Amino acid sequence: MNSKGGLWRWLASATLGCAAAGLIAAGPARAQEPEPRLKTESPYFFVKSDDPSVDQLPLKATRVDVRISGVIADVTVTQQYRNEGTRAIEARYVFPGSTRAAVYGMNVRLADRLVTAQIREKQQARVEYQKAKTEGKTAALLEQHRPNVFQMNVANIMPGDDVRVELRYTELLVPQSGTYEFVFPTVVGPRYNSPQSADAQAKWLSQPYLPAGQATPSAFDIHVDIASPIGIKEVRSTSHTVEVTEKDDRHAGIALAAGGGAANNRDYILQYRLAGDRVESGVMLYRGDGENFFVAMVEPPQHVATAAINPREYIFVVDISGSMHGFPLDTAKALLRELIGGLRPSDTFNVLLFEGSNRFLAPRSVPATPANIERAIRTINEQGGGGSTEIVPAFRRVYAEPKASPDVARTIVVVTDGYVSVEREVFQMVRQHLSEANVFAFGIGGSVNRHLMEGIARAGMGEPFIVTKPSEARAQAQRFRRMIEAPVLTSVKARFEGLQVYDVEPPQLPDVMGERPVIVFGKWKGEPQGQVVIEGRAADGPYRQSIAVEGNTSRDTAALRHLWARHRIQSLSDQEAQEGGDRQRAEITQLGLRYGLLTQYTSFLAVDKVVRNPVPSDAVGVDQPSPMPQGVSNLAVGATVPGTPEPATWGAILVTLSVLAMLARRLRRQRAGRFTA
Amino acid sequence: MNSSRLYTLPRVLEWSIRIDRAPALLWIACITLALLPTWVWMARRLADGSDDPLGLLAIAALALVLWRHRGRLRVAPRLGWLALATGCALLSAMLAGALPPLATSLVALAALGCVLAAFLPALVAAAPVIGLALLSLPWIASLQFYAGYPLRALTAEASRWLLAPFFAIERMGTALLVDGRLVMVDAPCSGVQMLWLGYFTACMTALWTFRSSGSFLARLPAVSVLVLAGNVVRNTVLVSLEATGGASAAVHDAIGLGVLALVCGAIAWVMADEGERHV
Repeated sequence: MNSKGGLWRWLASATLGCAAAGLIAAGPARAQEPEPRLKTESPYFFVKSDDPSVDQLPLKATRVDVRISGVIADVTVTQQYRNEGTRAIEARYVFPGSTRAAVYGMNVRLADRLVTAQIREKQQARVEYQKAKTEGKTAALLEQHRPNVFQMNVANIMPGDDVRVELRYTELLVPQSGTYEFVFPTVVGPRYNSPQSADAQAKWLSQPYLPAGQATPSAFDIHVDIASPIGIKEVRSTSHTVEVTEKDDRHAGIALAAGGGAANNRDYILQYRLAGDRVESGVMLYRGDGENFFVAMVEPPQHVATAAINPREYIFVVDISGSMHGFPLDTAKALLRELIGGLRPSDTFNVLLFEGSNRFLAPRSVPATPANIERAIRTINEQGGGGSTEIVPAFRRVYAEPKASPDVARTIVVVTDGYVSVEREVFQMVRQHLSEANVFAFGIGGSVNRHLMEGIARAGMGEPFIVTKPSEARAQAQRFRRMIEAPVLTSVKARFEGLQVYDVEPPQLPDVMGERPVIVFGKWKGEPQGQVVIEGRAADGPYRQSIAVEGNTSRDTAALRHLWARHRIQSLSDQEAQEGGDRQRAEITQLGLRYGLLTQYTSFLAVDKVVRNPVPSDAVGVDQPSPMPQGVSNLAVGATVPGTPEPATWGAILVTLSVLAMLARRLRRQRAGRFTA
Repeated sequence: MNSSRLYTLPRVLEWSIRIDRAPALLWIACITLALLPTWVWMARRLADGSDDPLGLLAIAALALVLWRHRGRLRVAPRLGWLALATGCALLSAMLAGALPPLATSLVALAALGCVLAAFLPALVAAAPVIGLALLSLPWIASLQFYAGYPLRALTAEASRWLLAPFFAIERMGTALLVDGRLVMVDAPCSGVQMLWLGYFTACMTALWTFRSSGSFLARLPAVSVLVLAGNVVRNTVLVSLEATGGASAAVHDAIGLGVLALVCGAIAWVMADEGERHV
C-alpha cells in the first residue's frame, strides 16, 4: 500500500464518520415529527435508608370506626403518626377513600391539645400550611387528588411526638339485589402515569411502594357497628376474616378476626342483608338551619327475562399491563371465559388487548360461534401481563372501528384494574361517543380504582362491576347478561306531590340497569307532607310507585346535608370531566366551603398555635410507603425495560483471542509456505 | 569542565561504559519501576471493581511482544524514544496530583510504550506498541461516561433508520419505542467494550504482520468505522428481537459474540492486508 492509498483510506473513513455523526444532527425527513415526550411522575419502590435519625415510617397505625345507621354510614378514620427518629419530619401519606365519601371533618390531637381543622380553598390552604411549616408549627393538610384518593401532610412532627389525625366522612349505602355493601379501600394501587395525561406532573402519583409480599409495619384495624330498624341477617365479609362480636335482631358489631394476616393491602368489603330480603325504601327528611334536605330511595321492580333480544356487537377491551400480571389477569381470564362463552350465536364480538400498545384479536367483529369463542379464549389465555397501561389510545382505537352493521347496538366491556391517572380523559371520551356504544366497566382485583369504574359506567350509561377473585366471575357475568337482556327500568321520572322541593339531584334520572333502588336527593321547604312518585318503563310494562312522605324529621339524618352536597359536587365534576378544563371550579369550591366538604378545590387545614420546631428548615420530608395491593406483582411499579447489552467481558475476550489465534495460525502457514515454495 | 575532560577521569569512563552496556531489560525495568504510583493506582481501580479487567490483557500482550523479541532487543537503543520515555516518566511524576490520575497515568503509560519502542527491533513498529501500552489503562468506565451517550445515540438512531421499514419506531434520547415497546440502548449497549477489543485486535495484528507505524495509523479510522457498524448491526438485531417478543440472555450473548467475531475478523483483515510492511 503506498501513501496515496493511505490518504484515500483516511478520506473514506473521515467521510463515513462525518456522515454517521450527521445522522443524529439532521435526522431523516419525516412527514410528522413525533412530539417530545414529557417526563412523568411515577410510583417507585421504597428504599429504606440507613440513617437512624430519620423515621421513614411515621404512620404507626390506622383505625377505622364505622357506624351504619339504616342506609347511612358515618366513618371515623384515625391515623397515628409517631416520630421515632431524632430529627423533625414532615409526613406525607397518600391513601384511598370510598368513591361515595363525603369528607366533612378533621381534627388533630397532639399531646393534650385538640386542633380542629378548617375548610379552605385548596391553594389558600397550601399557602397557610407552608407558612405554618416554615414557622415551626405542627400542621396537618388534607387534600383530595381524586374522589377516592386523598393525601395527608403533617408538618413538624418532632422527635417523640405522637400525632393523631382524625378525619370523618359519611356515605349512603345503596343495596344491590337486596345486598347492602360497605367498602373501605385500604391502599391506592400504583398508577401508571401516561405522558399524555393532564396529570403527568402530579406529585402524588410518585409515591413509594413496598415490594409485593412485604407487609407494612403500620397497624390497621376496622370496626363496624350496624343498627337497622329492620332485622339484619347474613353479615359477611368477602375480603377479610371477620367476627361478629355483638348481634341481636337489629344490631351487629363486626371486628377483624385475630390472626388474619395483613389487612391493609386490599379493599375491606362487608355485606349484609335485611330480614325478608327487604330494602329500606322511603323518604328520609332532615330539617336544618335555613335548609332542609331529603333523600328518597325507591325499590326497583324485579328483573324480568325477555324472550326476544336483538343481536348485539360486543367489544371487550382487556388490560394486560404489568399491574394485571398474575392473579388479576387470571381473574380477568375467568371472567372473559364466562362473558364470551355466554354470547349467543347471533351476537358478534371482538377483543382488544391493550398495554402500552393495543391489538384486536380479529380484523373485524366475528360471530359468536363456538369456534370463534374458543379461539378468543385460547388467545386470552396466552397473555402474561406486562408493560404500561395506555387506556385512552385503546378506547380511541375501539371507537375508530366501524360497526359490524349500522343497525346493531354496540356494547363495550372494559376489563381493567384501573391503575391509571387519565380518568378524566377516559370519561370525556366515553361520553363523547355515547351515541355509538354504551360502556360497562369490570374492575379486577382487591384494590380496584373504583372511581374509574363508576365514572366509566356513569359516562357510558352502563354499570360498574367489581370482581375480586375468579370464583366471583360467573355470578358477575350472569348479572351482566341479565342487565344486557333488559334494563330494570327506563325513562325514569320522579314527581313530588304535596312537598315543595328544589335543587333535586340528579336533574335527570338515569336508566336503572341492575336491581338497585332509584335514589333522589334534594332540598325541601314548607311542611313535610305528600308523596314521591317514581314512574318509568319496566321490562313487563309501565311502572309506577309512590311513597308517602312521613312528617317525622330527626337530627339523626344530619348527614343528608353532606350527602346532597357530595352528590351535587359529583354531578358538577362529571360535567367538568366531560367538558374538559375547570369550568365548574367556582361552584364546586363554593359548595365545598359552604357545606364544609373536602373536594378537588377545597382542603382541610389544621394548624397548632404553638411554635414547636425552632429550626424548621432542618425538618425532613418523609413519604409513607404503601403496601403493594394483594395479588398485584412488582411489575405494576417497575418492569425491567429490555436493553441490548454487549456480551459478557470474559466471553468477548475469548472470542477476540480466538480470532487472533486463527490469524496467527494463518500467518505462520503463510510464512512457512514462503520458505517451502 | 567540558565533557571531553570527563572521559579522562577513570571512574566516569568506567561508569559510562557500564551504563552503555546495561542490558535492555534493565532499562525497561527501571522505567517500569519509576511508574510505580501508576501501577498502584491501576491495581486499586482493578480491585475496587470500578473497571473491567481488560487492561490486563493489553499488559499481557506487551509482555508477550517483549518475550517474543527478547533475543533481538537493541544493544544501542533508539535515543529519541528513550529520551521521550524518560521525559514522559518525569512529566507523569510532576503532574501527579495536579491532573486527574487517568491523565497522569496516560503520560506514564506513554513512557512505557516509548521505552519498549526504544529497545524493540526495527521491524516492530512503535505505534501499535504505544497503542497497547495506552490500552492497558482502565479506560472503559471513563469512556462510558464521556463517549457513551454519543455512541448510544448514534447507534440508536442508526438502528431506527434500519428498522423503520418494519416497525413503528421512534427514538427518545438513547431509547427506542418500537411498536409501543420501550427498548433501552443504555450504557452496556454503547459498544465501548467492542471499541476496546477492536483497537486491541488492530494493535496485535499490526505487530504480528510487522506493519509500519504510518500504515497502522492510516488504518485506525477504518477500525473505528467497523466497530461502530458492528455495534449498530448487533443493536439492530437485538432491538428487533425485543420488539417481537424478546429473547433470552443466552441468545443476546450469542448474537453479540458472533458480531464481535465478525468485527474482529474484519479488523484483522484490514490490518493484515498486504501493503506497507517492514517485511
